[in-house]
Amino acid sequence: MSSSLEVDSLTRQFGAVTALDGLSFSVPSGEVVGFLGPNGAGKTTTMRAIFGLTDLDAGSVRWNGTPVGAAERRRFGYMPEERGLYPNMLVADELDYLGRLHGMRSAEAASATARWLERLEVADRARDKVEALSHGNQQRVQLAAALVHDPDVLVLDEPLAGLDPAGVDVIGQVLVEQARAGRCVLFSSHQLDLVEDLCESVAIIDHGRLVASGTVDELATQGARRLAIRVEGDRRAAWAGALPGVTVSEVQGGEVRLILDDSVESDTVLDAARTAGRVTKFGFERRRLSEVFREAVGR
Amino acid sequence: MKAFPIVIAAFVLAVIIRLLRVRKKRRSASQSSVQSPSPAASRATRLWDRRLFGDTGIVAGREIRERLRGRVFRVVTVILFGVVAAAVIIPTLHGRAAQNAKVGVVADSTALNRALEQLASSAGLTVRIVSEPDLAQARTGLDSGRLDLVLEGTKKVLLQKPLSITDTSPKARYVREVSLDLGAYHAYARAGLTSGQAAIVAGAQPLPVESLQPGKPRKTTSESTALLGIILIFVVLNQYLTWTLMGVMEEKASRVVEVLLATVRPIQLLAGKVAGIGAVALAQAVALVAFALVLGKAVGSNLVHGTAPVVVAAALVWLVLGYGFYSWVYAAAGSLGERQDQIQSLALPLSLPLLFGYIVSLIGVSSGSPSMLVKVLAYLPPTAPFAMPTLVGFNQATWWQFLLSVALCILCTVAVAAVAARIYRSAVLRTGGRVRLRQLMGPPAR
Repeated sequence: MSSSLEVDSLTRQFGAVTALDGLSFSVPSGEVVGFLGPNGAGKTTTMRAIFGLTDLDAGSVRWNGTPVGAAERRRFGYMPEERGLYPNMLVADELDYLGRLHGMRSAEAASATARWLERLEVADRARDKVEALSHGNQQRVQLAAALVHDPDVLVLDEPLAGLDPAGVDVIGQVLVEQARAGRCVLFSSHQLDLVEDLCESVAIIDHGRLVASGTVDELATQGARRLAIRVEGDRRAAWAGALPGVTVSEVQGGEVRLILDDSVESDTVLDAARTAGRVTKFGFERRRLSEVFREAVGR
Repeated sequence: MKAFPIVIAAFVLAVIIRLLRVRKKRRSASQSSVQSPSPAASRATRLWDRRLFGDTGIVAGREIRERLRGRVFRVVTVILFGVVAAAVIIPTLHGRAAQNAKVGVVADSTALNRALEQLASSAGLTVRIVSEPDLAQARTGLDSGRLDLVLEGTKKVLLQKPLSITDTSPKARYVREVSLDLGAYHAYARAGLTSGQAAIVAGAQPLPVESLQPGKPRKTTSESTALLGIILIFVVLNQYLTWTLMGVMEEKASRVVEVLLATVRPIQLLAGKVAGIGAVALAQAVALVAFALVLGKAVGSNLVHGTAPVVVAAALVWLVLGYGFYSWVYAAAGSLGERQDQIQSLALPLSLPLLFGYIVSLIGVSSGSPSMLVKVLAYLPPTAPFAMPTLVGFNQATWWQFLLSVALCILCTVAVAAVAARIYRSAVLRTGGRVRLRQLMGPPAR
């Protein structure tokens, strides 16, 4: 039986602000799940709720059907949005300490520390203080802190923010490896292209509610048909705006992306394009994750 | 014997240098080989922390390791040892230098020599009488430092430098008494008294003077130890309580507390921090006291005589109790702020009762008799860490009074810890500025 982390009907009110409004979704093992939403949608509150760092007005978090408590959380790894490490501590000592707090023996923690620092390509900084590291390297150490005890569940709040391409590659590979090894991986990000590349599925929330979820493929193919058309010499695609039942989704780099109502035939669109010039590209396309996101949150 | 303190100081210095070198070697060795966390240096703390105290022990172990590793701790420790060594050694050196004197006597006699020795004994001085053949040679001896004073028969007392009117050393007292006695001797002779009559007059004793109010008793050894004890408690408490506050604030400011509280309960994190820093404080205080006692015994200080060890033990007990009481409050205060500039404003109100107890107790010790206020403060947990050791030093606390005060302090510490843990839990995850206590009473923000 595959395991999963379930977030069930989470509700949280801060004074007049509703941070979570009956939010439910699940993170199956073996998958990287992207957790998306505009700023203030409730992502961080949800992640903190998973770790008991915020009190809930209602709802529960379950792991394999069991309400999550202190014992279960020992098997979780967490990377908070605002990085949290002792600035004056040596990198290796810090990871060793966190490993032991998660129940590892001293030797195990030391071995895991060395292994993860090696994997994340910061082994040469093991005896440096955290504050002496660059932002990118601190980010890698922070991820190592979440991974050092080989958790069953990884919850990462903006793990890719501010990283250079090399850092994104390394951390992205690690997240995928962890999922392939059967772990639940949930991470939030505003870099939707990266999420599309890394994740099997996503959960999109807004105002504390789930507004879309599913595999990236499902979300990309469901809904209205999409056409991508390029007409030679035409960079504004003014012809498309006059077509009934057709919505212009995007005009970029001389290419227009259209959303078709069910009643519209693609031949009609092709004919209209030909009136504007020589058609050099005409084809159906999947929705990009950024389009899914914008449609889901309505902005 | 005079060289013994220097030998001890040199030994302590050598041990410190050796420890620093060993640590440096281990560090460079670990850098050049496998990048695994500090291997042997902290093995001892690691063994006891998890097995005996669970997560609280691991947190405490980290606090101990990090404090011991810190440069501030090392510097402060070396300074404190230096201060203690100076406080123990300097008074004994001063006392010894003043206790001996060589007295040159021109035209001496057995009776005169005996009288000079008796006067020396009453002045607290040990004298060696040296018979000088003539005044010129005696003057030369005085000039060269071979002699401390010279008597020209019973006619004159000669010194190298004039006596200061404020000089109350045994030698100065001795010179004044010799001068007075020889002056009286000549007056008796001019009055025509026989030697027997002169002896009767010279041996006159003052009448006893009694007062209705009791007088100020002379300070005893244990009172002096109590004074040093409350100073030690004040210094150590101030240092380590501030560290506790700053430690909690650092965890909040760096957001590491969010990572930690995802794994351990707030009370475990708080208790581990308090216990770890407290263990370092106690170890440092015990080391300082042991050093002071050993050094005191070696140099003949009066620190180790009489009931002083009991006073030392009482001071250590109250150091632990005082830290236990205040540390929770300081830790809770640390959870309210997250910037370095907030430390003073958070710590100041908490330090006022501590300062009050310290000053009142200091006044009690220096006045020679603890006031009624000190006796009352000895039962109030915020001030008892200073007031009760003072009473013990003056032998004005029975064992049951001591235990009663300890019990009251422990009970209050439990209550204070419960409140502090609640404040900590509510405040430590609230970020974005200093948290006011009234905010914690409002709607939750975490």
